[in-house]
Amino acid sequence: MNMKHVLIVFKKELIDMFRDKKTIISSILIPILIFPIMYGFMGFSQKRITKDVEEKGIAVAIESENKDASIVKFLESKEDLKITDVTDPDEAVKKGTVQAIIFIDKDFDEILKTNKPVPITIQYDDTNQTSMMAAQTIRQYISEFSSSVVTQRLTAKGIDTSILIPIDIQEKRTAPKGDDGIGMMIFAMIMPLMLAIYSATSVLPAATDNGAGEKERGTLEPLLTTQANRLSLLMGKYLAITVAGVIGTLASMIGLFIAQKSNPELLGKGMAIPITSILIIALASICLSLIFAAIELAISVYARSFKEAQTYLSPVTILVMIPAFAVYMMDPKNIADVYFHIPLVNIICIIKELIVGIYNPLHIAISFMWAIVYIAISIFFAKFMFDRESVIFRV
Amino acid sequence: MIIVKNLRKRFKDFEAVKGISFEAKEGEVLGLLGENGAGKTTTLRILATMLKPTDGDAQINGYDLLKEPEKVRAEIGILFGGEVGIYDRLTARENIRYFAELNNMKKSDIEKRIDELSNMLDMNEYIDKRVAKFSRGMKQKVSIARAIVHDPKVMLFDEPTSGLDVTATRVVHDFIQTCRAEGKVIIFSSHTMSEVEKLCDRVVIINKGEIVANGTIPELEKHFNNDNLEEVFMRLVGGAQ
Repeated sequence: MNMKHVLIVFKKELIDMFRDKKTIISSILIPILIFPIMYGFMGFSQKRITKDVEEKGIAVAIESENKDASIVKFLESKEDLKITDVTDPDEAVKKGTVQAIIFIDKDFDEILKTNKPVPITIQYDDTNQTSMMAAQTIRQYISEFSSSVVTQRLTAKGIDTSILIPIDIQEKRTAPKGDDGIGMMIFAMIMPLMLAIYSATSVLPAATDNGAGEKERGTLEPLLTTQANRLSLLMGKYLAITVAGVIGTLASMIGLFIAQKSNPELLGKGMAIPITSILIIALASICLSLIFAAIELAISVYARSFKEAQTYLSPVTILVMIPAFAVYMMDPKNIADVYFHIPLVNIICIIKELIVGIYNPLHIAISFMWAIVYIAISIFFAKFMFDRESVIFRV
Repeated sequence: MIIVKNLRKRFKDFEAVKGISFEAKEGEVLGLLGENGAGKTTTLRILATMLKPTDGDAQINGYDLLKEPEKVRAEIGILFGGEVGIYDRLTARENIRYFAELNNMKKSDIEKRIDELSNMLDMNEYIDKRVAKFSRGMKQKVSIARAIVHDPKVMLFDEPTSGLDVTATRVVHDFIQTCRAEGKVIIFSSHTMSEVEKLCDRVVIINKGEIVANGTIPELEKHFNNDNLEEVFMRLVGGAQ
């Protein structure tokens, strides 16, 4: 290998790549914009529902023959409940004219006096978010009413209400100060998944262009007649593809960051990950890019044309999604050691651990050792393909 | 000087070149004449060290094909026919410079050489423009400049005029004449009889991977008692079928 030749190829491929508007759009612009737009829409619809409820209140129908029952009066006194009369309750809930219907027995107060539980039915549409929120609010009010009844009953018997609370739970949360646990949990789930998928997909356009694309344009043969040997050509291309992959992954992370800042109610308020962890996460995702760049370049060199390369390469991205989704829900605090020996899974698990603040040197060492092995194997595979006459001249 | 000795190339279940030997000298255009699939491109690819021969050997200006492939590549320039493979998003100059750099030329020499080639091939108007919108003839010139930027002593032409219009063909023909005048060793493969007659000093006729005739055009015509190269060719190739 001749480092001078490697650098010449590397430089040329980067220039070539970034002069292509398609590359700029697909590997920088789209990754940056996709998350803010996606979560923007999600956040927008979420906010609209909340705002609707706040402004208009919750439309509720009370079905009872006794409108003077204490519970009816209690519910009517709540400002955010807009009590509405309906003729056909089922239809009204379905259509959304009311969010929920409360069925109350006409003898509510009589039964209550006998100290027996009084049935109340809440009907709502559990496919509708607003309706579910309404049911939740109603449940809260009813339990508020229940509590007051319990207090009255106990007071009547001269018992202190504290008898009902044998244990006073004090919660102490372990998420570092200023952070929020939910944000961390969401990030520990989404980030590794995104990093894995983006590492595989960001190298795709560059890999296609550098292998099959070069073949299809007829530039590969002249290139092979220069004094640069094949390994130097391959390594130059390989590094350029990896850089494209890293840039793409970085762009998507910036996108995720923007999305999180503008929609904290969906993605949590974020957290402070120590700089060393960020560096290790970055290194881990660069490893992923290095692995996928080599595999995808090898496949792309094998393909006869652009189109063929795309056909062969799309399963690769699906292949990444399997381990990525397999550990998606896994609790980062209880990952068994064996997972750190499974390709891809280990790197994803390392990222998960680091996000929640676990720094396990053994896990990190095992995963990176394996990563080096995978990188070596994948480069070897690419070199094997690039050296084969039947692959290079497969037209 | 190119000396080819008993070169063979076998692909999986097909022998494309079946032990051919020939020589090519400085200042001489050697024509490789044969039908499609006769083994011309395979032979040239072996000489350019892109393919490894199954058997046999060749020396190019004293360098051994198998032992010193990089030195061999330093001696040769190669021009392909068909679609001109150049990088659309680079300028003509960048395309040429890329190949100059990969051929180990010094930075200071490269720019001088590109200007020289640009003058010679009349490319000054568009040398710094991106090649995407170039006409076929303009692209052809870029690929010629790219092939000879490192001033190779040996030029290999693999059906360089296939698919070219009259003007672009003329550019290539003129270029071959220039190379001959400069005393380069030239191997020129073609299946077009008129082209071979016009340009070549000597002809090697290949059929199904084997050499069926080797000599100057007058020699061949005399030997086969026919004053038409095409008919000589048809007799040799047809007879072998």
